[in-house]
Amino acid sequence: MARKTARITALLCENSGWKAYVDAAAEGVEASRLLQDLDAVKLPCSGKVEVGLILKLLENGSAGVLVLGCPKDNCTFIRGNYRAEKRVGAAKAALREAGLDEGLVRLDFLSSLDSRKLIDAVVSFKGYIDDHSRS
Amino acid sequence: MITAVRKPFAEIAGMLEGSGKVLILGCGTCVTVCMAGGEKEVAILASTLRLANQKDGREMQIAEATIERQCDREFFDSVRDAVVQADVVLSLACGVGVQFLGEVFPDKAVLPGLDTKFYGAAVEQGVWAERCSGCGTCVIGEYGGVCPVTRCSKSLLNGPCGGSQKGKCEVDPQNIDCGWQLIYDRMKALGQLDRLEAVKPIKDWSTGRHGGPGKIVKEEALL
Repeated sequence: MARKTARITALLCENSGWKAYVDAAAEGVEASRLLQDLDAVKLPCSGKVEVGLILKLLENGSAGVLVLGCPKDNCTFIRGNYRAEKRVGAAKAALREAGLDEGLVRLDFLSSLDSRKLIDAVVSFKGYIDDHSRS
Repeated sequence: MITAVRKPFAEIAGMLEGSGKVLILGCGTCVTVCMAGGEKEVAILASTLRLANQKDGREMQIAEATIERQCDREFFDSVRDAVVQADVVLSLACGVGVQFLGEVFPDKAVLPGLDTKFYGAAVEQGVWAERCSGCGTCVIGEYGGVCPVTRCSKSLLNGPCGGSQKGKCEVDPQNIDCGWQLIYDRMKALGQLDRLEAVKPIKDWSTGRHGGPGKIVKEEALL
């Protein structure tokens, strides 16, 4: 299936990434422009991310999947972000098996106050995806 | 439960090469519990195959389904049409399910997506360990509840070999406990060490795999 757009998907922990995203989106025109190619999805915890969900998003046309969870050892659900780390690792392994670039999925950690870091993470990931496009 | 792990992706992709319509069929019982061939694993494998096919420009229609069990005929009814429409069915069941799928649909090509391992228990989350070899004549009661056939790498019935070191087995000292150390510790705790003084006769292995394919007939259950 050919992708029509180079949009990326962000799977955001509602306790950190999602709050940072809401703040970032409200920062102004420039921030909105930087986030315009992002489809943001709120998760109850980054530990809710599933290998199958990441692969299904890529299969259905997302150019890349960015998972943003709470900083290490600061997860509301204690170890959800460690779980996310393992699941993202498994998704990367599946991508390698499929002969694809494992960089199509990325995990980062930030606090709910890090709206600037969120924008930087999105811009960095979008830049990588644009340089390694599958289409 | 029967435990299994998924075959390497390259092996699966190789088996499916040239297939036009593929049904990946999961099993909702043992291999779901050991996270090898349930609904989630079917979806992950299907997505991985589709992504690989997209990348390489291969045409392959991949359908997904999971039934309660692949070792009972009636559960196949719900996927009969999907099986008929597929060129090949990749079963994510244990070896029992794969073969029985082929028996229920004798005209259909069936392939195994898993490597079946052993009868095991979930000793902790994400870790399964072998506990039974299906020898057909259970002797666990004579050994304090620990099976010497399975837990001893050499299936010894009359005490440990010389390869038992610090409670570990010489076959793999890092990962395998000495089965006889386990038996001794358990029977000591139970106050039954004296039972180990009896010499056990040679076991009749013909009740298990050495006697050929097994069969159980329960007369009162026959129609």
